[in-house]
Amino acid sequence: MVSENQLVLASTLRPYPISKKRVVPKGIEEPDWAIDGIPKIEPSSDLQNRVEIKTAEQIERMRETCRIAREVLDAAARFIRPGVTTDEVDEVVHEATIAAGGYPSPLNYYFFPKSCCTSVNEVICHGIPDARRLEDGDIVNVDVSVYYKGVHGDLNETFFVGNVDEDSQQLVRCTYECLEKAISIVKPGVRFREVGEVINRHASMSGLSVVKSYCGHGIGELFHCAPNIPHYARNKAVGVMKAGQTFSIEPMINAGVWRDRLWPDGWTSVTADGKRSAQFEHTLLVTETGVEVLTARLPSSPDVFSWLIS
Amino acid sequence: MEDDDENPPLAVAIDNMSESSLPESSSRSENVGVTQEESPVGVTVITGYLGAGKSTLVNYILNGRHGKKIAVILNEFGEEIGVERAMINEGDDGTVIEEWIELANGCVCCTVKHSLVQALEQLIQRKERLDHILLETTGLADPAPLASVLWLDDQLESALRLDSILTVVDAKNIKLQLNEYRHSALFPEAVLQIAFADVVILNKVDLIHHENCRDSICNVLEDLKKEIHNINSLATVIQAVRCQVDLHEILDRKAYGANHLSHLEALLEDSKTVPAGSRHDFSIRTLCIEEQQPIDLAKVRLWLEDLLWEKKTHGDVYRSKGVLNICDSDQLHTLQAVRELYEVIPARRWLETEKKMSKIVFIGRNLDETNLRNSFRSCILKRDSGASA
Repeated sequence: MVSENQLVLASTLRPYPISKKRVVPKGIEEPDWAIDGIPKIEPSSDLQNRVEIKTAEQIERMRETCRIAREVLDAAARFIRPGVTTDEVDEVVHEATIAAGGYPSPLNYYFFPKSCCTSVNEVICHGIPDARRLEDGDIVNVDVSVYYKGVHGDLNETFFVGNVDEDSQQLVRCTYECLEKAISIVKPGVRFREVGEVINRHASMSGLSVVKSYCGHGIGELFHCAPNIPHYARNKAVGVMKAGQTFSIEPMINAGVWRDRLWPDGWTSVTADGKRSAQFEHTLLVTETGVEVLTARLPSSPDVFSWLIS
Repeated sequence: MEDDDENPPLAVAIDNMSESSLPESSSRSENVGVTQEESPVGVTVITGYLGAGKSTLVNYILNGRHGKKIAVILNEFGEEIGVERAMINEGDDGTVIEEWIELANGCVCCTVKHSLVQALEQLIQRKERLDHILLETTGLADPAPLASVLWLDDQLESALRLDSILTVVDAKNIKLQLNEYRHSALFPEAVLQIAFADVVILNKVDLIHHENCRDSICNVLEDLKKEIHNINSLATVIQAVRCQVDLHEILDRKAYGANHLSHLEALLEDSKTVPAGSRHDFSIRTLCIEEQQPIDLAKVRLWLEDLLWEKKTHGDVYRSKGVLNICDSDQLHTLQAVRELYEVIPARRWLETEKKMSKIVFIGRNLDETNLRNSFRSCILKRDSGASA
């Protein structure tokens, strides 16, 4: 059994200075936490307990917003290379979001200081963009959420920085496949708890572990709402999927143990053993016959994943 | 570790290390990880109407000489304060210390564990050798949301587990409240709290003594027990004066443990599941359905989901426990549900001596017994298609 101290030492990443809060120009519609950091509608909404069936009009807005979020993430993907800081990645995300007329949803959400999450190597999720320079061999997840026309779109991908070792490539590819396999079962009538079964099966077949502390979530006019979708097996998630529902699936897969630790910043979640973690996320719409990936890759999306190049 | 100098902010949670593991840092501290191997700390939710005696119970437990280290959390669940008061009897001398535990106000929606669970886990980590946690709720609290939050998936390997829900009732007042509820649906909380209870402490039984002549006292108490069992036949009812009860009777009930055998045996025993009287004068009550023929697991799941999630036909199910005789399985399966949360899992092999059967106890409101019974029949596996050939 490894001790807590050894686990801590196993993690080599350290936080760096965080730049000033970026400005959102006047005229851009803001969610209710933009000014004071506290979401008001979201926590008390009955949509925390009931999964909303979106109207055609809501769905159309979701499509638009999710497409913007995809283009913003693609801009970040094109920018990433050894030597750039995650703060600079955040700047790219912020500028691309406001250029499209959107608000970067994470900004000031429960006082989150930046416009996206950047999670490097052993960071599982919710890493805060800072002055650390990406190094050759790093993996970095960029999680982008955009608020536009009153709805949120949310997606993330894990990118390679320069030349990445074989194990990390496998970790990232397996995580990508976990999300793909999970999406492939989405259709009306499927239990939300099945998602975790699929993800867990694929990850454990590759000798990897599934993070259990964070889950997929409903999304729409609220950033996070029902349903909660755990990514681990044998969960008691409530409900079955219905046409018109929108939610995210966002498996976080670890090379080592599944357990996570939280940094004192209250956000950054790291693996307990310091080994690497990867994540992919899409915002999905359940259709009458299956699923529409609202944040799907576009023809213009950069070719950053070798397994997608035919 | 020289590079720490260039990276001023420290990356790791200092508070995790400072108390427990610093002294051991030179001696490799292998035992820090062991804490996670220990069995999880049980959490008992204490409910009860105003004045029923919750505080008396809590003080009795905190100040008693039982050698157990117990933390009591005064829970203002649902009231957005973000901080709760905890009292812990540190050590054998019985001194009670008080502290505040803080609930994180971060984004709770994309985390699996409620901030209350996270706070309790931190408390367990901070305090060495905590034996049990009592969560005292406000008098009007509906226990269901708390139970849902605390009934964690086993997969989370949490340092805590929901042990049971304990409801304190005032033997003198409860009669009145149940009558009011029967006639005008007043005091719904009092009835709900009984419906969700695994243990009911029938408190202040001495106050009945003073008013009634001696031979009718027993009758009064028996009637009360019957009324409680009509609402919830699964609850263990313990009589008490000033909440002085045997701690062994109320702690470590493991009411939510899927393969806790004593519960299975109780379920298989007829007397425990059939409500004492068949009067249906409460809209909230217990009913039990039975089936001898083996049932199909997939169909049972769908049937339960219609009942608990889609709420298609029947009333509201608050709590359910059962054993299931699943076809083509030598495993006795258990069913457990709180509101919409349910789990069906294989618990153990059927014994040679046992009669294989399915038996489900429902506690809920406006339950339609005939409908439940008939719809459950649809879960019986029809063998006609394959077996007839």
